[in-house]
Amino acid sequence: MAAFADWFRAVTYRGREGQIAWMLHRITGLGVFFFLALHIIDIFLMSFGPELFDSLLFFYHQFLFKLSIVFGLFPGVLYHGLNGIRVVAIDFWPNLGKKQAMLWRIQMIVFVIAYIPSAIIMIRSMFGTH
Amino acid sequence: MTARGSVRPRPASSFELYSWFFMRISAIIMVLLVGFHLFYMHLVLSVDAINFEVISGRWSSPFWRLYDFFMLTFAWLHCTNGVRIVIDDYVHTQGWSVFAKAILYLFAFIVIVLGSYVVFTFQP
Repeated sequence: MAAFADWFRAVTYRGREGQIAWMLHRITGLGVFFFLALHIIDIFLMSFGPELFDSLLFFYHQFLFKLSIVFGLFPGVLYHGLNGIRVVAIDFWPNLGKKQAMLWRIQMIVFVIAYIPSAIIMIRSMFGTH
Repeated sequence: MTARGSVRPRPASSFELYSWFFMRISAIIMVLLVGFHLFYMHLVLSVDAINFEVISGRWSSPFWRLYDFFMLTFAWLHCTNGVRIVIDDYVHTQGWSVFAKAILYLFAFIVIVLGSYVVFTFQP
């Protein structure tokens, strides 16, 4: 309960867009770290030949994993990338810093525009209509 | 920053400056490399369509081997440096901090070696 209260205080701290942007950047970054470790190690298994590699693909082809790509990995990388562009832009052109909140809102509109059709394509292919 | 005429002290090492710069440069490169990778692998192809044969075909060209090598190296160093910053933010005990970073760097080294090994030595 105390943990929940701490968590609630943390996310409702009045940092507005900048705070939300930073929190999402950190959470998605850590998520991608763990996925990428798994992904590089699984590609390393290519060196053991097709029998072993293809026999392990069931892990990536299971429904739950594909679901976590559509609703976890893909939006996570997309957000981290878009927010990263905004951070880089503000660092290299500090005047943009005054507009960081508006830039974040624009970025989230771009996120939705890019994510929705991508998610539809991936969900359709999960049900064999690719 | 303040009007008191004080100068911000120069850090003893410029490591954090290079770290900051590396994160920005690798970010810009990865927006292109990872952006196309995800677009092609997940939207043009799909997770179900990827198997040994597909990746093997892709690596028949040195271009894609180099592409994958750069993507893996930039992404993994960017990831590792990000986690280093997270450790600095949350682990305040020096012993634990050194311990966590030692594991992080060892893991980073192993992953880079495994990834580079397969990209460069793979034979179909």
